[in-house]
Amino acid sequence: MIRFFVILAKELRSYFASPIAYIVLAFVMVLGGISFRFAMSILENEPQDASLVTLTFGSHWFWMSYFPIFPLLTMRLFSEEKKMGTLETLLTAPVRTSSVVLAKYVASFLFYAVLWLPSILNFLIFQTITDGAAALPPGQLWGSYVIILLTGAFHLSIGCLASALTSNQIVAAVMAFVTCLVHFLLGWFVIERGNNVPPELVDTVRYFSSVDHFKRFSAGLIDTRPFVYYLTAGGFFLFLTYQVIEFRRWRS
Amino acid sequence: MVRAHNLTKQYAGRTAVDAISFEILRGEVVGFLGPNGAGKTTTIRMLTGFLAPTSGGATVAGFDIFRQSRQARARIGYMPENVPLYDDMRVKEYLKFRARLHGMWGRRMRVRVGEVMELCGLTGVRKKMIRGLSKGYRQRVGLADSLVHDPELLILDEPTNGLDPNQIRGARELIRNLAESHTIILSTHLLSEVEKTCSRVLILDEGRIRAKGSPVELVKRHRAAGRLSVETKGPETEVSELLLTVPGVKKIVGATMDGDWTHLELLADSERDVRECVATALYERGWPIRELIRHQASLEDAFVELTLEQEPGE
Repeated sequence: MIRFFVILAKELRSYFASPIAYIVLAFVMVLGGISFRFAMSILENEPQDASLVTLTFGSHWFWMSYFPIFPLLTMRLFSEEKKMGTLETLLTAPVRTSSVVLAKYVASFLFYAVLWLPSILNFLIFQTITDGAAALPPGQLWGSYVIILLTGAFHLSIGCLASALTSNQIVAAVMAFVTCLVHFLLGWFVIERGNNVPPELVDTVRYFSSVDHFKRFSAGLIDTRPFVYYLTAGGFFLFLTYQVIEFRRWRS
Repeated sequence: MVRAHNLTKQYAGRTAVDAISFEILRGEVVGFLGPNGAGKTTTIRMLTGFLAPTSGGATVAGFDIFRQSRQARARIGYMPENVPLYDDMRVKEYLKFRARLHGMWGRRMRVRVGEVMELCGLTGVRKKMIRGLSKGYRQRVGLADSLVHDPELLILDEPTNGLDPNQIRGARELIRNLAESHTIILSTHLLSEVEKTCSRVLILDEGRIRAKGSPVELVKRHRAAGRLSVETKGPETEVSELLLTVPGVKKIVGATMDGDWTHLELLADSERDVRECVATALYERGWPIRELIRHQASLEDAFVELTLEQEPGE
């Protein structure tokens, strides 16, 4: 357990010491600002049923900032160690492989959580400036951040697996990006853009579609099913990552 | 300290290590010697738990390398080939990280990190980024890393690879100092390395142990030990016939002519010095001697003989 924290601390340090992390942070902040401005302009034009929160996290600007995060945060986790050979020194120290996988994953998750902190400021500043006149239901606000963390936990585990599969960071990034995007687009096409889609299929897709989950959570509807879904799916991909790293010992 | 029994590793269609068994006692410095691709690194990776053996097994300090891998690993200090390090860390920071990974904390950890930096001559660069270190310093950081938890067994894979002669001498000095208090496995394809530092040698080739013993024994066992060069002014056939009558000379393995001079390569009994008898015999026939050398047989000869296919007729 101690070793888990040692590796976690080291991984967090490498995040906060690497330029790419700050580029991602800046990127998320800029697009977060744009999606916030986008939501404000919708409300400016005419009254809406949806609140500022729902519109912000429903905008395509938000999704544009969301997907590049995962490949960029996870691509180096294992592939860099494989390429540099440091995986050998790391795994020949008396540590469990599971500690290594978990520590790297948790580090990426913590950095991911930090990425979203500035966007909360947008809402807080807005509320202060408008003197609380704008309707910002806390349920919607917290619901949005809860679902961001949940889907993130899942997509980061996909990134971990992609990184464990190759020693090439670019390949890892592309694999993670494509997998996360396909997962998103499946739901998006069926639910939002589908014509003549049988309703049973739409219902099925709702279970795993992040679009739908985002819509509900940012409307303040906190459902326990996505919790179970994202956490177990994330756990499953971490398990696969662990197996991939362990398999290396057996490869013949 | 280390006991391997039929240790085997197969890669797809290729046996990298083929059922090798050996034992290493506490306090020994053992050299794994062999050409590239002989299975040295694979053997080491199995001992350190980085690869699982296909069959067979080994124990380190009494712990099975597979079933009790973490206990075994806690007792091994390992420096892999080419010394992989985290480039984005500073020297001291890296060593502290490694010490913590081995479960060291607080004052004990800081003191120990200071000690190994002192021992490996890293105190001057402790705040430098590893990225900016020269090859020699990287090697020292790797060595400090493998020593930081004061392991019982030190495994160094090609520790002097890519160093300049001065650095090699420094590294050798360091290894010799460490040998006083550690069991060391040293893998290398440099023979001089082994001759100067190891108390015992395992010669590996194509995944098998070809020979084991102390460097001196290996050399003695080898035929090149009794090789003699003679250059004299006399007809080749007669000189050859004469020399074969000298007690101790076994055979003539080569003859060349240089004008009037005949150059002969002799094989003699390696236990005795036949030079005096050879000189006397030639002198009595009135053939002047220009050269008479008894070759210092080296581990290199033994190594080449063991790992190269022998030419027919020799």
